[in-house]
Amino acid sequence: MEQFKEKFKEEAVDLIADLEKSSLDLSSDMENPEHIEVIFRSMHSLKGGSAMFGFEKIDAFTHQLETAYDLVRSGEMKVDDTLLDLTFKAIDHIKDLLDEDDNFSDATLKNHDILLQGIKDILSKDSGTPKQNTAAKEDKTPNKTTNDTGATYYIKFVPNEDIMKNGTNPLSIVDELASLGEHMVFAYTEKIPPLDKLDVLSCYTYWVVILHTEETEDSINEVFMFVDTECTLEVKFLGNTNLLNYSSIRDKLKSAYDNKDQLDLSTVEELVIIPKASEEVKESSSLSSNESAKKARDQNITSIRVPSEKLDELINLVSELVTRQASLTLKSEQINNKELITIAEDIEKITRRLRDNTFGIRLIPIDNMVTRFQRLVRELSHDLEKDIIFQTEGTDTELDKTIIEGLIDPLMHIIRNSIDHGIESPEERRSLGKPEKGKILLKAYYSGANVYLEVTDDGKGIDTKKIFRKAVENGLVTADADLSEKEILDLTFQPGFSTAQNVTKVSGRGVGMDVVKRKIADLRGDINIETKLNVGTTMSIKLPLTLSIIDGLLVKIDETFFVIPLATVDKCFEFKHTQLSNAVNNLIYINDGHIPFAYLRKEFEVRSTPPEIEQVIVVEYNESLFGLAVDEVVGEYQAVLTSLGNMFDMQDVISGATILGDGTVALVIDPNKVISEFKYQLDDSKAEISI
Amino acid sequence: MDIENKAIQTFLSFKMDKEVFAINVSKVINILEMKQITKVPKTPKFLKGVINLRGTVLPVVDLRIKFGLPEKETTVDTSIIVLSIEKDGETTLLGTLVDAVSEVLELKMDEIAPSPTIGTKYDSGFIQGMWKVDEEFIMILDIDKVFSVDDIIDFKEQIDDVKVENTQ
Repeated sequence: MEQFKEKFKEEAVDLIADLEKSSLDLSSDMENPEHIEVIFRSMHSLKGGSAMFGFEKIDAFTHQLETAYDLVRSGEMKVDDTLLDLTFKAIDHIKDLLDEDDNFSDATLKNHDILLQGIKDILSKDSGTPKQNTAAKEDKTPNKTTNDTGATYYIKFVPNEDIMKNGTNPLSIVDELASLGEHMVFAYTEKIPPLDKLDVLSCYTYWVVILHTEETEDSINEVFMFVDTECTLEVKFLGNTNLLNYSSIRDKLKSAYDNKDQLDLSTVEELVIIPKASEEVKESSSLSSNESAKKARDQNITSIRVPSEKLDELINLVSELVTRQASLTLKSEQINNKELITIAEDIEKITRRLRDNTFGIRLIPIDNMVTRFQRLVRELSHDLEKDIIFQTEGTDTELDKTIIEGLIDPLMHIIRNSIDHGIESPEERRSLGKPEKGKILLKAYYSGANVYLEVTDDGKGIDTKKIFRKAVENGLVTADADLSEKEILDLTFQPGFSTAQNVTKVSGRGVGMDVVKRKIADLRGDINIETKLNVGTTMSIKLPLTLSIIDGLLVKIDETFFVIPLATVDKCFEFKHTQLSNAVNNLIYINDGHIPFAYLRKEFEVRSTPPEIEQVIVVEYNESLFGLAVDEVVGEYQAVLTSLGNMFDMQDVISGATILGDGTVALVIDPNKVISEFKYQLDDSKAEISI
Repeated sequence: MDIENKAIQTFLSFKMDKEVFAINVSKVINILEMKQITKVPKTPKFLKGVINLRGTVLPVVDLRIKFGLPEKETTVDTSIIVLSIEKDGETTLLGTLVDAVSEVLELKMDEIAPSPTIGTKYDSGFIQGMWKVDEEFIMILDIDKVFSVDDIIDFKEQIDDVKVENTQ
């Protein structure tokens, strides 16, 4: 049972995420029926699952909300902020209920009652008619319904004998099915053995249900969502009208059952023919429903849940394969057998695709976590009476799932800080000549073998003087300490540091930037602050791709191999050593322009004699070009990146290593780091000259 | 490793400069012949670089430089001892370059002289104990401590002090 409960929980988390996303979409586009439909669907699936696995509170709760959205769907109720606020609170509450399982805390229980009341208020407030409507829906009795919308279905549900051993009660499924509309249920008990042979834990009964519902066939299939592997299920569209309205059909079905006839599909189809219904109409409609059923099935198989250990194992194997494949390519070139080389090349191509696919599996776009930041901004800016828009850039940047999960809390904290301390109130902004709407930008991009995430606000910036004073007060530094701006900003990462003058509801809850820094360090990342008073603050997080394969350009300096990520490489050029050594201001003339370059032999302190002809690899850096001078270009290479480990933390120009086909280690260069370090030196030396 | 233990423990001894050191074998993963080491730019001198250890990248430290001893060309005897060390709360593999690996010793723990009580100036606990055979000293290293320090350790003076202390 536990295992199924877990499975439901996993699905519930996804459903809640859908719910949250659609609710946010709805809040910006309140009329869009698509969003309402998704919300309704997610609620419905949540309700069904929770009822089945004994999450009674969630069941009761989502039922009420579903009712509300059903009214919205049918156009009897309008979406407004009250409903949306309630929805968001409800989403949080459902998360709590799910987390706490059966041991609800008092706060949760209290919240539960408040929210339930809130929904009831909305339902009753809404002009009275909907209330009747819901009531009518709830105890819809056969024969009363005269409207001819919806459709009638034949459902044969044959549970496997051991279904109850997994903790599923087949009766509750039948009950849920019955709740979808008018129905006739026939139970078949002939398989039940004599008492002395009866195993009480086995299920011998199966059911045939004739159901008229206004729900789609998908909803019927959803009822069986968690038991689809434990039963044989037959769902068949019978007709577009409520066949159960015809007493002749009811009687025929009943007498057939009483005669112990098998109500299998063909029998039922014969029994339910209505004199008036034209064959043609029936034909075409059953066709369309077949199509929709097919569509539903397609949707069901678009994603598969796989334990992450299996993925890790797969990735390890692919990494190994890539390394071995490199040996094969090398060896085949040495042997110089044409046929062998062709095979090796084919294998290389296939390996490359296999590698890309496999590594893509674990990566998910950061888009997945953006929803909750949008919500945070929406709610918090509302609470603090600030007007803030939240923008994102590069949300298709992909990161390992575990890294994304670890990033959510620190990023939430940073964004919360931006809203609370960064962005000013609209009045203040107006007086400063800034647009009233504040802006927070979340930007993600790749650089070398790293991913950068930046949160930028256009708020008031961080006052370094204030930070310094505060640090002195807290005894973190002495008043006469001579610190650079960066050093002062780094003080905010010290434990127990908080500049918030008043402890607000939002920040100053004892969780400070030190925790953010630690959490990011746990992901082997690094965080940096850049700020300008009254202009804004940028927090930038650097994260390594701990395990990854990149396409690289293999180059050689002296006896050492280096890999430059191919994505950054623009072109390669050949130069005489003298041309490079005589270059003025480290500029070389390429393609009608001067390009600055770093002579890597010098940068890396290689002392041997340089070759006569050297290569300059031109890489793109911040949209301008930059050259890296090396001895020799070996060729393209797909590199399995491995970390150098914490022994090499003191440098960052080499972001990792990779093992070549012959077993030697090649070092992976982060061109951005080489360039920024080089430019820094360049600026420094220029400064010295000008002095 | 508990020095007070009376039981027999096994150590791997190796030579560096004129000194003999020993490390508890529980720390030793394996011993490699000298192989080509890839130097990583912009790193301290005692970090020799990285090697390929069966598909993983292993950092190699030159213990001579780490201990402040004079550098020396590699010989046929030069070996890399692969150690498993605790650094910053993590277990890491690390290669150490030594002049020559000597032998595996089984020592009775009560024969080991306790941690030297040299002046507080040098007492940083790198040496766990001393073992004296004939007139030769074998210094037992606490290898985790050695690598908890990122800088070069000036060992020369320490070693001399320890010897003086123990001969008295």
